[in-house]
Amino acid sequence: MLAGVLLLIFLPPLVAKDLCKDSQDGFKVRLSIKTALGEEAYDWNESEMFLFRSTLAYAMRKETKNDTYDITNILVCNDTPRVSFMFVVTSPGQPDQLIPKEQVEKAVRENKHRINNAFLLSDMTLEFLGIPPTLSAPIIYDTEPWLIVFGVVIGAVAVGIVALLMSTVSKKRRAKEKAAGLSEEDEGIVKENGTALSSFGGKEGAYNQAFSNDDRFTKL
Amino acid sequence: MSKEARPSWDSPMQFVLACVSYAVGLGNVWRFPYLCQMHGGGGFLIPYLLMLILEGIPLFCMELAIGQKMRLGSIGAWMAISPYLGGLGIASVVTSMYLCLYYNVINAWSFWYLFHSFQSVLPWAECPVDVNRTGYLEECEVASSTQYFFYRETLNISSSIDENGGLHMGQALCLLLAWIIVYLFIVRGVKSTGVVVYFTATFPYVVLFIYLIRGVTLHGAWNGVKYMFTPKLEQLANPQTWINAATQIFFSLGLGFGSLIAFSSYNHHNNDFEKQAVVVSLINSGTSVFASVVTFSIYGFKATFNYESCLERMRMLCLNSFDLSEESISVENVTAWISHLNITHPESFAAIASKIEHCSLEAELDTAVEGTGLAFIVYSEAIKNMPLSQLWSVLYFIMLLLLGMGSMLGNVTAIITPLADIKLLSHYLSSESINGLVCLLCLLLGLGFTSRSGNYWFTIFNEYAATLSLLFIVFIEVISVCYVYGLRRFERDIEDMLGHRPNWYWKVMWAVVSPLLLFSLFIFYIINYIQGGTPTYQAWDKDLGRSVVKEYPVYGQVFIALLLLSALSCVPLAALHSLCRRTQRGTQIRQHRHA
Repeated sequence: MLAGVLLLIFLPPLVAKDLCKDSQDGFKVRLSIKTALGEEAYDWNESEMFLFRSTLAYAMRKETKNDTYDITNILVCNDTPRVSFMFVVTSPGQPDQLIPKEQVEKAVRENKHRINNAFLLSDMTLEFLGIPPTLSAPIIYDTEPWLIVFGVVIGAVAVGIVALLMSTVSKKRRAKEKAAGLSEEDEGIVKENGTALSSFGGKEGAYNQAFSNDDRFTKL
Repeated sequence: MSKEARPSWDSPMQFVLACVSYAVGLGNVWRFPYLCQMHGGGGFLIPYLLMLILEGIPLFCMELAIGQKMRLGSIGAWMAISPYLGGLGIASVVTSMYLCLYYNVINAWSFWYLFHSFQSVLPWAECPVDVNRTGYLEECEVASSTQYFFYRETLNISSSIDENGGLHMGQALCLLLAWIIVYLFIVRGVKSTGVVVYFTATFPYVVLFIYLIRGVTLHGAWNGVKYMFTPKLEQLANPQTWINAATQIFFSLGLGFGSLIAFSSYNHHNNDFEKQAVVVSLINSGTSVFASVVTFSIYGFKATFNYESCLERMRMLCLNSFDLSEESISVENVTAWISHLNITHPESFAAIASKIEHCSLEAELDTAVEGTGLAFIVYSEAIKNMPLSQLWSVLYFIMLLLLGMGSMLGNVTAIITPLADIKLLSHYLSSESINGLVCLLCLLLGLGFTSRSGNYWFTIFNEYAATLSLLFIVFIEVISVCYVYGLRRFERDIEDMLGHRPNWYWKVMWAVVSPLLLFSLFIFYIINYIQGGTPTYQAWDKDLGRSVVKEYPVYGQVFIALLLLSALSCVPLAALHSLCRRTQRGTQIRQHRHA
């Protein structure tokens, strides 16, 4: 009688351990808490394990839309000092039936973000070996940001060039007008020694070829 | 008839800054630190400074003197020295043309990187994810994210020079922008260039200084600086060290392109170019050393970062394979633990033996890189690991742009000055139109470098277009000035300009030392080409994620030969042409006399 009672008490965890250890449907989990959190790392203890099992149960509930999943359906074994262990998920209706690997994988992938956040970890530091992380989607821009900066710069440069060219053109026009204007003014101004002083207004003097230094070319 | 006065610099300061802006270019940042590392660190400064005194300063001064005396661009100036030497000027213009074509492509890349720095995450910091979002793109995994960004997203490089693709539109747009900016800087000739150089000559130093402070305060920077400056004096016995020092000084000062002649042709007759030559050459070399301190502190940071990542990876590998607690192995005792685990658990250790890497700081520091690889891959890798990386990235690429644009000013001026001297052209077209046409032509030809195989053609130009030809050109220049024009006549011209004759240092260098040095460099290059066999290039293999060596196809080798010959042959061909014209005219005059 006593033996039977003892057997009844110790059988479920023994069976559970066997289910977990020998199973093909389990996953190895690895947490790198010290690496992720450094000074603020928490210790891995029974309560944290409880949290883990409950988040997995939550993930199974969400994925299968079956509210009967409970923490007792998540079996854990092979605990190491690394903070890595194996887990399997049993079906809520039949405790000795394991949920197949693919379903568990799907549940974990869909809810990885929530599981990570529960432990303040990331995809790098909370690893489910065999389940690749879903990387965040690349940001799609309406207009690439580099085109915007390019547009600003090329617009500014184009304005600069146009302004420079316009000022050159207007300078030339003004010089032409002045030359035309001077030849009209000559008639009405008092001339001294036959030369109008105003004709020297804009120029720096006339270039006298007699004093130029043109013979700087080598003669052979 | 009134002669329009030649435009001139507003002040001698503008001229000096223009020369500094031209000489201080990308080579100071990406070639000198490499040479320093390859040839014994601090010890390399000895041959470098010696070559500066023996060939750099004298040749620089000589080109300035010629330009200031003749007051013409390179073609006119050499025609004035001797009617048979017009070809020397033409060779300079041709070489400048080649340089302009490919140099602005580097500026286009700098623009591309600069514009891409305005994002919350730098695009070269992370690999893009693949279609399933389960991992990263394979090419990016095998190479690194910075290499992937450069080879795939910036260049979209094909796997060999034979495979042409279409143009890369982003690159083409950036090249267009680069040429428009160059046009804006040179549109009014010296007047516009003179204003721009105040900025392009000084701002790079501001950025270098900021980077110096940032660089030496980075973790691990001191490793790099110490590694660089520890002199390995045994390298001085290697002749390659001396050859590299001579070529570096020569190319770094930008001799032979005609830019210096063009710049100094706008000087006043009595400008003291002798002092300015010394000042600019010293500034150029000083900047090289300064830039290499910055580069090596960045190297040190990158090497330390990679070394510590390697140690961290090994630590994780040991922890995960042996399921030990995280506190048992720290980054410091990883190597001790690895040997311990090898002894205590030999079978399990053998299983992971293939993944064990040997982490070595020395090996990381030894990876010397030069050229575009250094500027765009190594530096951007270091920048992505710095805090506030977008700011540092923007600053860095602005500096690269200013250095590149400053050099482009000199390169384009070397082409437009001789063109403006041609009376026929300036009669029909205004100077703005000539400048615009030159920029347009260079842009259209340069678009070829933005195609998928463009980087391979770029490498051809980079290695062959302006190396051997320049040595030849400057050698003929020195010989002509000293022996054809006459050293005494040159001395008298300098006395006329400066008020005193050049002292014995200049005369000895010009007449004996520099020509000898140049001739030996020229011979060395030719021997190197012949001994090197078929020229090869580095092609990017996207499956391996690294570059592989390939030989140039026949048409590539023919193109290289054409590049070299087109510049070299200008000198003898023009001399022949001149000789024919003179004999023709001589016979015509004799005929007139007889008639």
